[in-house]
Amino acid sequence: MRNESYETRGIRRFFMEIGGFLKNALGNFFSPEFLSVLVPLLLLWEFLPRMGIIPESLLPRLSTVAATFVDMLRHKQLLLHILYSLGRFFAAFGIAVALAVPIGLLMGWNRKIRAFILPLWQLLAPIPPPAWVPMTIIIFGIGTGMHIFLMVIGIFYPVLFNTYQGIKDTDPRYLASARVFGASEFTLLRKVYFWHAFGSIIMSLKTGVSMGLVMLVIGEAYGGRMGIGYLLGQAKDYFLIPDMMVCMAVTGFIGWFLIEVLKYIEIKLAIWKVG
Amino acid sequence: MIEARSISKFFSVINEKGLAEGLTSVLNVSFTIPDKAIVSLLGPSGCGKSTLLEILAGLQAPTDGEIRIDGRVVLEPLPSTRKETEEYKRRYRFISPLANGVFIDRPKHDIAMIFQDYAVFPWMTCLQNVVFAMRLRSAGKKRSERPTRRETAEKASFYLNKVGLSGVDYKYPSQLSGGMRQRLALARALSVEPRIILMDEPFAAVDALSREKLQDDLLRLWAEAGAGTRPVSIVLVTHDAAEAVYLSDEVFVFSPGPGTIRNRVPVNTARPRARTDPELVEIRERIFAMLQYDIYQESDYSI
Repeated sequence: MRNESYETRGIRRFFMEIGGFLKNALGNFFSPEFLSVLVPLLLLWEFLPRMGIIPESLLPRLSTVAATFVDMLRHKQLLLHILYSLGRFFAAFGIAVALAVPIGLLMGWNRKIRAFILPLWQLLAPIPPPAWVPMTIIIFGIGTGMHIFLMVIGIFYPVLFNTYQGIKDTDPRYLASARVFGASEFTLLRKVYFWHAFGSIIMSLKTGVSMGLVMLVIGEAYGGRMGIGYLLGQAKDYFLIPDMMVCMAVTGFIGWFLIEVLKYIEIKLAIWKVG
Repeated sequence: MIEARSISKFFSVINEKGLAEGLTSVLNVSFTIPDKAIVSLLGPSGCGKSTLLEILAGLQAPTDGEIRIDGRVVLEPLPSTRKETEEYKRRYRFISPLANGVFIDRPKHDIAMIFQDYAVFPWMTCLQNVVFAMRLRSAGKKRSERPTRRETAEKASFYLNKVGLSGVDYKYPSQLSGGMRQRLALARALSVEPRIILMDEPFAAVDALSREKLQDDLLRLWAEAGAGTRPVSIVLVTHDAAEAVYLSDEVFVFSPGPGTIRNRVPVNTARPRARTDPELVEIRERIFAMLQYDIYQESDYSI
């Protein structure tokens, strides 16, 4: 019945997916339109300091930053710092999503549950996540626990509210048509609400990634011995502008990469929208 | 068999001054629809016929009155006194009265419904849409009596073919035309082999040519089901008098204001019918005249 000949499996499938991902993610960068903007910008970055139009002490050249990057990889354990940061980030992201998505689902689904807990989040969410830093340091001390908690605070609210909104806005026609066929509430949640809100959930995860990175840098800059934010803080203390730029670029790359991964997941799971 | 006993439905709406106002959507409607019949609820838009259909399906509770499908009450009416209201609220504190259950899939009645805007799930392929409905319907059976995945898929495919959708099993509804989406909704409704199919202006959004074809297909499928072991009765909401007369055994003509049954017009012409049959044309003209009278004399009716 099903036409299997289009499906590839195993290692070839894996490489095909990687190829598709790279094409999706990098396609924007290598378009002629964007290259005509990017290349002049990079050239300006290199040549403005070189020609002394901008003092090199304020804006190091592109080549200096690249050299610093390599140097940091070799002598300052940059890779290890990145791994530490990523480890904390994923732990926090996992915890935050595991809490926020189910709570959002429940709040969107049931009015009574909403009445019980929604005002709580409405009260707590406006507190800017960085304002939690002093309290967190006192309670958790300086260390991984504090970093993770701060990131969880940052990621939790955007994911929670977007999920809740997506679920609440589910078209009642779809619910009605499933109910007539006899769907239980749990089936509705799994098969109707969730997929209807899928776009907003992915959207919320993207916001969560950026908020998480913000809190990552803030948290690690406040204290710790490892991580990108720590390196950044060190660079600040020693006034090493190239090092700062490397840290910024690395954080930016991580954020971009994670968001591209989420986009790819969305394309793969929401084929019906592409049609 | 569907019995409706003095169904009324009130809504509270906000008027242009920002004040709450009562709106009577359906007022004191009673009827009986026998097995194996096609009955149309005909009326201008806004006469409460869609509301009535949703009440029949158990998607809205009536304010007053009671619907029984094969002797079982569909939804209890809404509370009317303060004490009853409090009791009702307490009973449905966590779960809406419309819910079938929290974890266990179980249809309340042996019905299927087709909506005006199809309401097929865009995130499922055509086959998944049909299979989803079939699995929900067979969930109430004992484990040993449930069909296997493979049987279900085959049967779903069979029903898709039956309504004239072949080769679209793995397509998504967004890749189909409006008429094909309506066929998919029809396949989904037929696949659960219900005793009753409720249709809410099913062909309104389809172009005129496809509509005639869909109507003929519907009659063919209804006749096939009737010849088999599980005859099906159809309740059709429409504002197209020609469609109502061509398809139905009986037409309930609604008048607006509060929606009430104005006339019940039996159509006894033998099937298969021709659209140009003088008998049908005559009934159609008569219904047209009624509707026209209602629309021109609307102010005399409204309370």
